[in-house]
Amino acid sequence: MPTENTAWQLEELVDSLVVELDKTRETLAVKAINKPLTYTVKELALDLQIFPSYDGDQVRFVTAQPGQQGASKVTIQLGSITDQQVRATTKVPGAKHDINIDEIGIDKSTRKRLRKLGVNSVEDLKEIERKDIDLQKVSDSEIDYRALANQIQKSRRGQRPPKVEAVSLSRDSQDAPYLVVRGERLAVDPAFQPVAVVNQTLAEVMSSSDRELRIQLTPEHRFGRQNELILTFDPFAVIRMNVKA
Amino acid sequence: MIDEAFMPFARIIERLVSFRPEVVDEEAGVRSYIYACELHLPIELDVVRDESGALRIGSTPPLYDVDTSFRPTFHALRFTADVPHHDDAD
Repeated sequence: MPTENTAWQLEELVDSLVVELDKTRETLAVKAINKPLTYTVKELALDLQIFPSYDGDQVRFVTAQPGQQGASKVTIQLGSITDQQVRATTKVPGAKHDINIDEIGIDKSTRKRLRKLGVNSVEDLKEIERKDIDLQKVSDSEIDYRALANQIQKSRRGQRPPKVEAVSLSRDSQDAPYLVVRGERLAVDPAFQPVAVVNQTLAEVMSSSDRELRIQLTPEHRFGRQNELILTFDPFAVIRMNVKA
Repeated sequence: MIDEAFMPFARIIERLVSFRPEVVDEEAGVRSYIYACELHLPIELDVVRDESGALRIGSTPPLYDVDTSFRPTFHALRFTADVPHHDDAD
């Protein structure tokens, strides 16, 4: 008599079945080298006697065991599928800069709701945005799109943080001093004007790009030998540094 | 761990298709080939999780033909065992 059967989700069982059938196919392929008339397995179907249960979140099944009656029947049919069909029905997984929704700092229920809508990555969300679909409406207002967009931006910024390579002091044609901050991925959000604070006093950002920032200095900034510079490139990228003159 | 009376699902399928494809009657000088065979049989299943949390499917065809008070639960397995490109062999 078998041991107590484990509760499983349909996806898990199908995955295991596919793994087992792959093993069979490999074994039979080796066998076919010396025995050309070796059989392959086609159109496999499994009728399972199961007990389903629903915990309000997921449906799980337990296969019926000896002596158990009243089980339901589920038929799993594994048909053959060509590589062309796979290409037509499957999304290319994990583009290089795509972010999985597990990596975004969103709460569990939002993540679950997104998955139910078939959204597994930031790229999926962008696709929805491109098609002008109101996520809030289709999710019965359960998904706050604005909060989600902020989280995505935060995750993206976390993957591509700003990097300061050099800070130098320069003077313009009127001999007014300004700071030049050079680096990579500095001001990447065109919708956000970077903010600079020099020695606890707000400073005007004269120009900004992803490679360079120019910050106007005035006597109020008391720019001396030791200075504190705080740069906010966007809501998710703040840098604080000491600048020695 | 799968119950020791059960085999991994891959092995049971592999064994089920490991029959001789030829039917030979040397006296009559006849040789036939089975190009496809549809199998439909009851099986018992043992679904367990291994240490990594993956599901393992153990299975076995009915072991005993004895009527007992404790009847095993039989699931059904169907598939076609097929020799690929059998047209080429004609």
